[in-house]
Amino acid sequence: MNYFPWLTIIVVLPIFAGSLIFFLPHRGNKVIRWYTLCICIIELLLTTYAFGYHFQLDDPLIQLTEDYKWIDFLDFSWRLGIDGISIGPILLTGFITTLATLAARPITRESRVFHFLMLAMYSGQIGTFSSQDLLLFFIMWELELIPVYLLLAMWGGKKRLYSATKFILYTAGSSAFLLMGILGICLYGSNEPTLNFETSANQSYPVALEMLFYIGFFIAFAVKSPIIPLHTWLPDTHGEAHYSTCMLLAGILLKMGAYGLIRINMELLPHAHSIFSPWLMIVGTIQIIYAASTSPGQRNLKKRIAYSSVSHMGFIIIGLGSINDTGLNGAILQIISHGFIGAALFFLAGTSYDRIRLAYLDEMGGMAITIPKIFTTFSILSMASLALPGMSGFVAELIVFFGILTSQKYLLMTKILITFVMAIGMILTPIYSLSMLRQMFYGYKLFTATNSYFVDSGPREFFVSISILLPVIAIGIYPDFVFSLSVDKVEALLSNSFYPSFL
Amino acid sequence: MEYIYQYSWIIALISLPVPILIGVGLLLFPTATKDLRRMWVFPSVLLLSIVMLFSTYLVIQQINKPSIYLSIWSWTINNDFSLEFGYLVDPLTSIMLILITTVGVLVLIYSDNYMSYDQGYLRFFAYISLFITSMVGLVTSSNLIQIYFFWELVGMCSYLLIGFWFTRPTAANACQKAFVTNRVGDFGLLLGILGFYWITGSLEFRGLFEIFNNLVSNNEVNHLFATLCAFLLFAGAIAKSAQFPLHVWLPDAMEGPTPISALIHAATMVAAGIFLGARLLPLFIVIPYIMNLIALIGIITLFLGTTLALAQKDIKRGLAYSTMSQLGYMMLALGMGSYRAALFHLITHAYSKALLFLGSGSIIHSMETIVGYSPDKSQNMILMGGLKKHVPITKTSFLLGTLSLCGIPPLGCFWSKDEILNDSWLYSPIFAIIAFSTAGLTAFYMFRIYLLTFEGHLNVYFQTYSDKKRSSVYSISLWGREEQKWIKTKFHLLPLLTMNNNKRTSFFFFKKKYPINRNVRNMRGPIITIPNFGTKNIFSYPNESANTMLFVMLVLGLFTFFIGIIGIPFFNQFNQEGMQLDILTKLLTPSINLLYQNKKFLMDWDWYEFITNAIFSVSIASFGILIASFLYNPCYSSLQNLNLFNSFVKSISNKLKIFENKIINVTYDWSYNRGYIDFFYATFLIQGIRILSKLILFFDRQVIDGITNGVGISSFFVGEGIKYVGVGRISSYLLVYVSYVLIFLLIYSFFFL
Repeated sequence: MNYFPWLTIIVVLPIFAGSLIFFLPHRGNKVIRWYTLCICIIELLLTTYAFGYHFQLDDPLIQLTEDYKWIDFLDFSWRLGIDGISIGPILLTGFITTLATLAARPITRESRVFHFLMLAMYSGQIGTFSSQDLLLFFIMWELELIPVYLLLAMWGGKKRLYSATKFILYTAGSSAFLLMGILGICLYGSNEPTLNFETSANQSYPVALEMLFYIGFFIAFAVKSPIIPLHTWLPDTHGEAHYSTCMLLAGILLKMGAYGLIRINMELLPHAHSIFSPWLMIVGTIQIIYAASTSPGQRNLKKRIAYSSVSHMGFIIIGLGSINDTGLNGAILQIISHGFIGAALFFLAGTSYDRIRLAYLDEMGGMAITIPKIFTTFSILSMASLALPGMSGFVAELIVFFGILTSQKYLLMTKILITFVMAIGMILTPIYSLSMLRQMFYGYKLFTATNSYFVDSGPREFFVSISILLPVIAIGIYPDFVFSLSVDKVEALLSNSFYPSFL
Repeated sequence: MEYIYQYSWIIALISLPVPILIGVGLLLFPTATKDLRRMWVFPSVLLLSIVMLFSTYLVIQQINKPSIYLSIWSWTINNDFSLEFGYLVDPLTSIMLILITTVGVLVLIYSDNYMSYDQGYLRFFAYISLFITSMVGLVTSSNLIQIYFFWELVGMCSYLLIGFWFTRPTAANACQKAFVTNRVGDFGLLLGILGFYWITGSLEFRGLFEIFNNLVSNNEVNHLFATLCAFLLFAGAIAKSAQFPLHVWLPDAMEGPTPISALIHAATMVAAGIFLGARLLPLFIVIPYIMNLIALIGIITLFLGTTLALAQKDIKRGLAYSTMSQLGYMMLALGMGSYRAALFHLITHAYSKALLFLGSGSIIHSMETIVGYSPDKSQNMILMGGLKKHVPITKTSFLLGTLSLCGIPPLGCFWSKDEILNDSWLYSPIFAIIAFSTAGLTAFYMFRIYLLTFEGHLNVYFQTYSDKKRSSVYSISLWGREEQKWIKTKFHLLPLLTMNNNKRTSFFFFKKKYPINRNVRNMRGPIITIPNFGTKNIFSYPNESANTMLFVMLVLGLFTFFIGIIGIPFFNQFNQEGMQLDILTKLLTPSINLLYQNKKFLMDWDWYEFITNAIFSVSIASFGILIASFLYNPCYSSLQNLNLFNSFVKSISNKLKIFENKIINVTYDWSYNRGYIDFFYATFLIQGIRILSKLILFFDRQVIDGITNGVGISSFFVGEGIKYVGVGRISSYLLVYVSYVLIFLLIYSFFFL
């Protein structure tokens, strides 16, 4: 049973099943929707089954490995495997994509293509998270860009072409750096090229070269994460995309950048990482404050939420920068937690937009009476987003704070300064998220307008929001759900790559 | 005995199922849940009563044998550090527990009636149960992270409850203001926690105190850093207890329903700051300046709160400022190191103020039927007056609360306030003078509220009359003029609130049924109710509230009357010789008393000193009451007062009168504009943040995004340019080709030939 290719099946199934959509009989959209949903659920169940029965949590090594030669002279092979860092994002991907498919039910235009693209993205994302080969990582990384571009360009809002072009140019441009870095690592050193993560991880480079590689990879991941000043594609993209796409973007796509930073920048290039980590901290702190203070000025609801995700990604960067167990665990927890919270906020923003048909916050108001369920869930998730205790965001941020505090790399003054500035972000967050709530739901402004769209969320929408809400609260109350996945791997990673260098 | 402690973790969880069940019920089965509305209240009251019995038992145990029980579970296990949560039962916890649960149960019963015609009845109960749960969690916390956890949760409950009537824009603003202001405090609290964690490596209270004391005695602590951390920690208490720089949210928080103001914003949550200070006192006393700072902030708040309360016209706002100043007393006591007095005042004040708020709720309830449901009118003391006749029981209990707050002997607050005032003499004479004078002012404004509300005649109908009559008297005419347009009600607000008409709650979003139309159930639409609303021609008078509300107020009145016992030393004197300790002291003996370290305390209760001080403070209070009754006793109510007053007015010269008018105007402006502090915050901080965010957004759009777009546009132009170069005409290609060949030939010939 050990040789059963679980991961290959998991990666290939969605795109394979997705391409079968085109052969389905023309019986309207319903068939396609149900088909896609079933595929997603099967995939999710399959993933949980495989991980539940064939993955040892206490083993920090890569598991469920598969290795099939593909191109011999390049050492390129279909090499998959997961460990404690990637298992969380893969499960998150399965969960969010399934819910996003469910959320995308109102879409009727070209629904074949749409659902195919969703499934293709599913494959691409899981492939990225589970590949153990640099080139395969790159291919999967690119594979997932095209569906996003098409989803944006075909089902977006008014300015969709501008945003889609911006998105593709930004990400494709950054991919060039990724490719350069990968080729550099591949061709460096010994006479034959290596693309394997594990062999590359044990290799050491001259410091200057390593820093060069680091910068290349960093630019690629910084665009995706996003890290300021490379973030401007995000508000536009999120502002225009359909909300199911937004869920995927905020929930998973941004996390790929953070995942890449851990997987490649930290694991493969530890020396450069410890050189650059002070800069990461500074950038992360600036990002938290910068994005959080940009957000209140935004009138567009979705853009405001987009800036809030930029602000939250700052915590991940800081967690990565404080090279220790606590900080890294906090960063991974923040990846998962923001995956849920961001996705849910975009979903709710989208559903309320469906009803009110207004994009600007200052035109809204008084929706709480007519759509109480959306109001309730929106309030709870805004609270989660401002890191209310009992929700996952709080635990993640608290642990990132502790990570800085216990980090041995920095001086006391820098720690105090960074902690202080980060904590100012804590004051800014409620300002934008609560004023968003107030402008949308409180008051009585729109009440006089007789609007036929004002129906409270139906069972489908309610199900989606509740099923995102539950893990948020569960992680917030018992964070070991996520920690148990990552703790051992994080410890192994740090002790292998970083602590020897301190001795 | 032992196992009561073992199982006391249940306390925090007993009342949790109610909000969860109501929440789930409201989200999944709204109609069914709303039909069973009264059914839901029963379990919440029942569970809370169980908690109350439990904590009573705990208190009795603690009185018999003060002990500390601590139990810890791990929350997250990480290699570097582990977070824990646990519960700690000690005298402080048990006192807070019984306070929270008794007030909580009473307020729950009260609000069953108060909120019964509200659409959000169940939501209200869900929130309030959640609040009580988190408050209980807060006081049983065993480490700082847990404190922070529940600290934020109670803040959120407060946010939800202030914004309970979310259709009111004022409520929406108020709840956001409260949350953000509290978040500023939480910011300090978190940083303080992190700082102390960095210093000591511990989050659990006792370990923290021990390690820190060791460090201090070995001089291994950077004093500046420790003071900074302690101040940041204390910032949490400043925000939560509405102390001076961060007090602005409390008066606005009165937008919430009145039971909430009684429970959260008078008795429990605002006292959490005092609780935190008391809990961390062992930490604070080893750091030199922080205690003085606490006392200073306390006295500033005390003074500010009192002066701001002087001329409020909204009854709840007046009480809110009074709460603020009383919290200042507690902070002052804490800063002086008399832990016991702070807690004593916390308890007595909680009951008295809860009683006052519930009384004002009852008044508002009665007034709403006459003047309408807008808080601008139903809470406006100008329109009240003469309620004595119509709501006698409310009047009695309100008077009891007022007298207690003024510090009139047999009532609760007298004992505690007197103790604080005594201690302030020992601490610093300047502080003592301020504290004493504010005690007089307290008596003044409390009686002002009482007189305006209950004495005289109902001003709604006598408005013009009383305006004419008392042109020389400053009380009402000063702000009575603005209220001329009161009959133009904000009608548009009300249909909004009732549109979503449910069968049972077809009536107003707010509370009280209309007195004329008894059969509320048959009334469906808001259209029927509006014509009757605010009509002048029906001279209806306010009614006394329902029995449940009165019952609760009476019980609280009893509490107010007898709560002083727990802190009166001579009460237990007869029983046990040698053990002349009162209950409170007995509970808190293990704790520290800074002030009395060099004095032989308590074993010899100084009767002489006590009586002189008491006489002094009581006379100041009665002086305040006297002035209030001079100024505010309505001119047509009782002849004797009028005569006395007239002769008094005549006797002072004209110049003095002008001067007096000036003072009153200044006071009025100061109080009406809330000391200009809100104004200051609004102009500088809020506008500052707005402008900053606009600027950053501009920067983001124009510079960072501008570079990207610029690159795009320039590449577009380059492409266009190249397009024009390569137009695809053979002749132009030939021209270019030939010209380059010529240039090449020229160069070639120039160099090589």
